[in-house]
Amino acid sequence: MTAPTFPTAGSPFPPAGPPLPTTGPLLPPETGNGAQNADGNAAGSGAGSPAPARRGPVRDRYFDLLRALALFRVVLYHLTGWAWLPIVFPSMGVMFALAGTLMARSLKRPAAQVIRSRVRRLLPPLWLLGAIGVTGMVAQGWGPDAEGHPGWWWQHLTYWILPLSDPPYAYDVAGIEGILGESWPEDLAGPLWYIRAYLWFVLFSPLLLRCLRKLPWPTLLAPLALSVVMRLELFSTTERLDSAITDFSTFGACWVLGMAHQEGVLKRLPAYIVPSIAPLFAGAGLWWASHEGFRSGFDLDSIPLAQALWSFGCVLLLLHYSPSWTEWPRRLRAFDRPITLLNSRAVTVYLWHNVCILTAATLYDRLWSVDALSENVPWLLESWIPVLLVTWALIALCVLAFGWAEDVAAKRRPQLWPDGRS
Amino acid sequence: MTHPAPRGRHDRSQRTAGKHTGPQQPAGPRTARKKNVRKRNRRKLPMRYLLPFMLLVALLAMLMLRGYVHSEILADHRVRDADSNTQVPKDVRSGGPVIDARSGDATTLRIPDRRIVLTFDDGPDPVWTPKVLDKLKEYGAHGVFFVTGNMAARHPELVERMVAEGHEIGLHTFNHPDLSYQSTERIDWELSQNQLALAGAAGIRTSIFRPPYSSFSYAMDNKSWPVTEYIGRRGYLTVVNDTDSEDWKRPGVRAIVERATPKDGKGAIILMHDSGGDRSQTVAALDTLLPDLKEQGYTFTRLTTALDAPSAHTPVTGFALWKGKAFVSAVAVSERVTGVLVVGLAAIGVLVLARFGLMLLLSFLHARKVRRKDFSWGEPLTRPVSVLVPAYNERECIEATVRSLAVSEHPIEIIVIDDGSTDGTADLVEAMRLPGVRVVRQQNAGKPAALNNGIRHARYDIVVMMDGDTVFEPSTVGELVQPFADPRVGAVAGNAKVGNRDSLIGAWQHIEYVMGFNLDRRMYDVLGCMPTIPGAVGAFRREALERVGGMSEDTLAEDTDVTMALHRDGWRVVYAENARAWTEAPESVQQLWSQRYRWSYGTMQAIWKHRRAVIERGPSGRFGRVGLPFVSLFMVVAPLLAPLIDVFLLYGLVFGPTGKTVAAWFGVLVVQAVCAAYAFRLDKERMVHLISLPLQQILYRQLMYVVLLQSWITALTGGRLRWQKLRRTGAVEAPGGTSAQRPQGPGADAGFGAVDRRPYV
Repeated sequence: MTAPTFPTAGSPFPPAGPPLPTTGPLLPPETGNGAQNADGNAAGSGAGSPAPARRGPVRDRYFDLLRALALFRVVLYHLTGWAWLPIVFPSMGVMFALAGTLMARSLKRPAAQVIRSRVRRLLPPLWLLGAIGVTGMVAQGWGPDAEGHPGWWWQHLTYWILPLSDPPYAYDVAGIEGILGESWPEDLAGPLWYIRAYLWFVLFSPLLLRCLRKLPWPTLLAPLALSVVMRLELFSTTERLDSAITDFSTFGACWVLGMAHQEGVLKRLPAYIVPSIAPLFAGAGLWWASHEGFRSGFDLDSIPLAQALWSFGCVLLLLHYSPSWTEWPRRLRAFDRPITLLNSRAVTVYLWHNVCILTAATLYDRLWSVDALSENVPWLLESWIPVLLVTWALIALCVLAFGWAEDVAAKRRPQLWPDGRS
Repeated sequence: MTHPAPRGRHDRSQRTAGKHTGPQQPAGPRTARKKNVRKRNRRKLPMRYLLPFMLLVALLAMLMLRGYVHSEILADHRVRDADSNTQVPKDVRSGGPVIDARSGDATTLRIPDRRIVLTFDDGPDPVWTPKVLDKLKEYGAHGVFFVTGNMAARHPELVERMVAEGHEIGLHTFNHPDLSYQSTERIDWELSQNQLALAGAAGIRTSIFRPPYSSFSYAMDNKSWPVTEYIGRRGYLTVVNDTDSEDWKRPGVRAIVERATPKDGKGAIILMHDSGGDRSQTVAALDTLLPDLKEQGYTFTRLTTALDAPSAHTPVTGFALWKGKAFVSAVAVSERVTGVLVVGLAAIGVLVLARFGLMLLLSFLHARKVRRKDFSWGEPLTRPVSVLVPAYNERECIEATVRSLAVSEHPIEIIVIDDGSTDGTADLVEAMRLPGVRVVRQQNAGKPAALNNGIRHARYDIVVMMDGDTVFEPSTVGELVQPFADPRVGAVAGNAKVGNRDSLIGAWQHIEYVMGFNLDRRMYDVLGCMPTIPGAVGAFRREALERVGGMSEDTLAEDTDVTMALHRDGWRVVYAENARAWTEAPESVQQLWSQRYRWSYGTMQAIWKHRRAVIERGPSGRFGRVGLPFVSLFMVVAPLLAPLIDVFLLYGLVFGPTGKTVAAWFGVLVVQAVCAAYAFRLDKERMVHLISLPLQQILYRQLMYVVLLQSWITALTGGRLRWQKLRRTGAVEAPGGTSAQRPQGPGADAGFGAVDRRPYV
């Protein structure tokens, strides 16, 4: 049962971006205006550790919360595949919007420098994943001849280094009996579309920002228009390029929205405008989803235009109400540490969660061979809750084992468990 | 749906504290300040919401039940294709149509020669089942009806008739799913719900069963056989058939008869349907089939009679019987509730659309009339008038208010009546040292008293009234008083505009105000039944006010009260579109709630107070018989029915037809939008605020219903007491005070402004 459900092609994955102002991996952390180091605070300042937070720009806990929610939702969705989850909380759109906000903030500095630092922080964790993953695939028989085009294989392999397009992976490998299911390369590489989309957005950001300043609303709506064009299939390029453009158009509006939030475009509007129009976009998204035949297994991930509209509407509202917490509201204080940890290890969690789900499900399914359990408590063996717990335990192990890559990328002293407690 | 006639802000808080403490009011906390309000709120809220909430839940439960018996929920329309039949025992496949799998080994039974068991599936149907029963009676035939639970629950009287006329009843599940797709729990549930409905309808249980989508014994396959076995284990005989009339395909009477007739005098179970569509061919076929077969020597009996077995029916008694009856009655109620709701919805639909139509037409006529170049009320009115500004703790706004008056193009005297403010409002005004501004101080006594006091001090024969937080344009007073050139005009309503329209709640109120002033008020003007002169901007002929006794404290809405009194006294009340006053709308839901509660409850009080006008003669009777019913209908009754639209929207969204429901809702929205756009055009407002109209329809309107409902509840429960003249108890407190009751004393105060904005119920 619990095989991780993968969204079909073009699917949206959860975004991983953890932009922490102080430590964010995917997204660039920004330090105070005076900070020279583009990458955030001085080494050693753990994410959320109070001291740096006070020095740098005040960290918006509301954004931290959104990012943690998004990440949690992504893991849950990839485990259960519930079609309604992306509607309840459009994680992807939220993540890209938060990333867009940080990108716009960084772009006060020269664009080339910002892009370089952003990319440098993004890629090392991916390389670590690739080193382990590709080695594993090759060990299980994947190679230049796998698809009959050795040249392409080598060429595509470079996407594991610079993911301008989706990194390739092996089909039909054996897996590890009882531990790792056969689809592990697909599960491993599945979430990488987010890294690729993120990279694209980073590269386009200076241009997007310039357009945004000149023509705010056309720039905001352009990705949605592009999404409509993609749906109309007016043109088509190669498969790889098509999927990249589709994701760019699907979440581009959210990214630009994040930038617009940072630039104050939204605040310049009378307060009633955003709450009035956001439901129109979201409603249009829902309508389009139902028009296209929304159902379990064919959810927003499979209907990019609906995803784009719904995410745009929701993110618009979330940013409009953005309360900018400099401190946790009382009720959330108890969650400070897990949220801080999720934020400072977001890339690691995102990159590895899918393999963890697969492993957890494979391991848990072994219990079926225990007759006492399968006969007496089959409902327990069918339940997703234990698998979720196992998954998060495995993710915690991955954080311990691979999380340091994020610190290294940020030129910080590696930390084992950066939950804000120094 | 209705736009409460906006009146401006001032009156919202006027009568609050102590002096309105009607006998049923809790003595203590009336004048909570915001801080306290919140706390008390948490305790009070459940009470306030309880009744509306229970109503809504009951309504939804009824609708759910209806959806349930109409197969709108839990329905499963999948039908499985034939499978291989390797697991079906040979004896069954080649056996008779009655399968007995109650013990381990399944056996089958055949109908003896020259006997026919007519079977009718899927009923009872209110149209066709009685006709089938009539035919059977006519030919003295009996048969078996395999009823579904949902149809039996909806038409219990037909099941009763079947049993009374000697037919046998079989189960056919509750809502006709293909059982091979269902879990054993669902199968159990289908059977027990079916028995429940049967018990409720006819007081019996039955032991025979026919699976939906079944046909012949030899058609049993690997998917349907386990179901048959399971049902056998539950103690039922499964009954399929020998001949299938295929009447549901409506192949023509001859074809039905041909397919149904068994060969060579053999016995047979014949499958027919008395429900699921037009069954006229089935009924007609009986007319041929019954006499034909009778002639061949056939008898038409119940299944158990044909098999010489004891009846399949067992009477149900005790709790099971009552449970069944309760279920069937609940279904009956739910059917009726839906009927009532549909009628209500139709009524409200007609009302709403008629109102919109009337508003568009009359406001068009009004605008055309007063905007004609040669239109005038008479000789231009240039003599000075008095402007009354009642103020209670208006420190923030009073300066702007008075300054805006000082630049009036019309000659005026300004009288600020300070109703015992504690924030130095009066001193502030005096310190401005503006010529022509007088300050009258009084102990806190409420807005009507302040106005009456102002009238006493006024020098001129025309009195303009405004709120302490309202700002006039230089031309406002001049425009407002021009209609008094007509000696029949006793009062004039100005055009209040929302100043703070950039917030969401402000934008909603802006739309509401523009519609309320440009459509509602023009309509009321033309019909001669303007219900309210807004407190924010209105003018009165002093003589008229004196004739009706000035402002009264009988109701929470003294402005509505006095306007109605003027109508009854025969005065005309008109609308001056160019007399614009800028007012600040409530910014929080809390404040808005309290304002609207006052308005709607006050309007009810005023209507009740002036109810005798209905039977009076002269202008009072005219107003009582035309204006009052009209105002009641649109301001009190229609909004009460309006939530039906939302209930049906929900129901339609959940149970379908979703598309049509959404389309209908958008249709209403478009009508709204057209009206609003017209109102905006009349007022030359920018259309951009209309963007918040759709959301207003989803969030704001509902808030207004709850407020109105609350007013109704107050009126129907303790509200009667409030009609008495309210006594001044002095049990009031300074805005800063705690909620404890204080002895009366100088300086004890309460009043409009900042005090509690939320009257308690």
